[in-house]
Amino acid sequence: MAAAIETQNLTKTYKNRSGKVNVVDQLNLSVEEGEIFGFLGPNGAGKTTTIKMLLGIIYPSAGQAQVLGKEAGDIGIHRSISYLPEKPYYYEHMTGMEILKFYGALFGLSDTAMYQRLLERVNLAGDQHKTISQYSKGMQQRIGLAQSLLNDPKLLFLDEPTGGLDPIAHIEIRDLILQFREEGKTVFISSHALSDVERICDRVAIINKGKIAAQGKLDDLLRGGRIEIIADNLTSEFAQGLKLNGATTSFNAGRLIVDIDEAEDFNGLIDGIRNAKGKVVSVLPRRRRLEDLFVETVRNLQSQGASK
Amino acid sequence: MKQVWAIATTTLGEAIRRRVLLVILLVGVAFIAIAPGLGVLSARSETTVLRSMLLSIIQLTSAVIAVVLTVYMIPNEIERRTIYTILSKPVHRWQFLLGKYFGAVLALMVMMAMMTGVLCLAFFVQQGYRADGLTQLLRAPIMFFVQMCLLAAVGVFFSTFVTPLVNFFLSGAVYLVGTTFSSFFESMLNNPSSSNIAKIIGRLVNTLLPNFAYYNVQNPLINPTVVIQDETQNYIKIVAYGVLYIGVLLVAGILVFDRREV
Ligand SMILES: Nc1ncnc2c1ncn2[C@@H]1O[C@H](COP(=O)(O)OP(=O)(O)O)[C@@H](O)[C@H]1O
Ligand SMILES: [Mg+2]
Repeated sequence: MAAAIETQNLTKTYKNRSGKVNVVDQLNLSVEEGEIFGFLGPNGAGKTTTIKMLLGIIYPSAGQAQVLGKEAGDIGIHRSISYLPEKPYYYEHMTGMEILKFYGALFGLSDTAMYQRLLERVNLAGDQHKTISQYSKGMQQRIGLAQSLLNDPKLLFLDEPTGGLDPIAHIEIRDLILQFREEGKTVFISSHALSDVERICDRVAIINKGKIAAQGKLDDLLRGGRIEIIADNLTSEFAQGLKLNGATTSFNAGRLIVDIDEAEDFNGLIDGIRNAKGKVVSVLPRRRRLEDLFVETVRNLQSQGASK
Repeated sequence: MKQVWAIATTTLGEAIRRRVLLVILLVGVAFIAIAPGLGVLSARSETTVLRSMLLSIIQLTSAVIAVVLTVYMIPNEIERRTIYTILSKPVHRWQFLLGKYFGAVLALMVMMAMMTGVLCLAFFVQQGYRADGLTQLLRAPIMFFVQMCLLAAVGVFFSTFVTPLVNFFLSGAVYLVGTTFSSFFESMLNNPSSSNIAKIIGRLVNTLLPNFAYYNVQNPLINPTVVIQDETQNYIKIVAYGVLYIGVLLVAGILVFDRREV
């Protein structure tokens, strides 16, 4: 498969009070055509800066980027891509329909029937004659998605598409993105959280302080969680006799709660509980959360930096 | 071209809803409406005095509108991130800047037409309708419009690299110097007795700053000494001067804006 986005040591340097900072630092990304790619990282990690470089809105300080096989910033590729900025704002005096007419004109289009279909697709047909100032945040995000579909793009950049939206809006946007995948579009989503939307990503990269901290399938990255085991009818002697690596245990009135690494022998523990005539109440795998992953990868980066 | 037009009309739509601009416009219109009434009270008032006073109101109001309109144009687009959705479409930066500029020109046209309409009304109420009087009356606002287009180009040019506040004072200063002192610098240049340094300063100001005073026609209060032999030719000349100057400013603005990070 061809790459929709590729970067080689893409770097953006900004000056601030304490000197020069590499806001994006030697980034090497490769996003395949047709995949949903999650670009995840805490606030200030450099996600928006990266997207702006890929769009040619700002220019790299070093390194290169290719989008759909052309140098980033090439106006020609703007026909086949689209961009939904972070916390976007649309001209408030315009109606939903007028917004589509305006952005459509920027592509040289004037296809009112198509605009109508797009409004229906994002569920705004009934509100198309209201002005943007009367739209809720979720509606504004949906008109944003509609304008990002005007050119039937091959590649969409969605910067924090669920920022500040309620869970229902999350699901609406997730479903739209799933449709994009069906249509074979490539979707590049940036986010600082792991909501329903980011969970559908085929692959993710985790960026922190401008550097890739981890990348791969989300499942693989979140693997290696912990398991919580709760059991009743046990004696305190049993609880005290446990020898478990890296587990936290608590015991109270016959109830034992153990939080143990997935890699440890938790089956052996369950056998032990049963042999002691204990009753296993629940065995609960706890996947890692994205936030945990952020914290871990940040720590790893820092320890690497310290050992250098 | 379609892109430039779409951006221009959108800019117009936004401008005529900007509250600051509407307030300025309203104040201007109110003055124009009130001034004739005051003139009638004063026995010595002459039509020409009243007319130049009204024209000065239109000019001042339009100048403030032109500056306020243009200094925030690019910064607002960046702050609201609308510029990103536009520039991520197949739109060149020069198209964006031109669209913004023409939007400002359209907004000025609408607002100045409103003030001029009120001006004509005020005159008809006072003197009754006269066709020749009307063309006499309209000449000045049309020249002011060219002047304001020039001022807007100055504002758009500066807005590609300075903040709105700095731009406000810069454009304001260029306008003031260009309207009131340009004849002074011109005499500095042409006076045979002036020193070389004075000549250089005169030439510098004369070539760098647009000469806004050219457009203060039919306004004896501001430009009482100008005697124009061939009017039509003069009008064509100063309009051409304006268009040329606007072109230079916009090209310079585009060159700056093309390299700029937004
Ligand atoms: N124009 C700029 N000048 C200086 N610093 C900037 C500029 N734009 C962004 N930054 C800094 O770059 C860092 C990354 O910003 P950004 O890419 O917006 O992060 P993210 O989108 O991941 O939250 C932040 O610390 C931000 O303050
Ligand atoms: Mg961001």
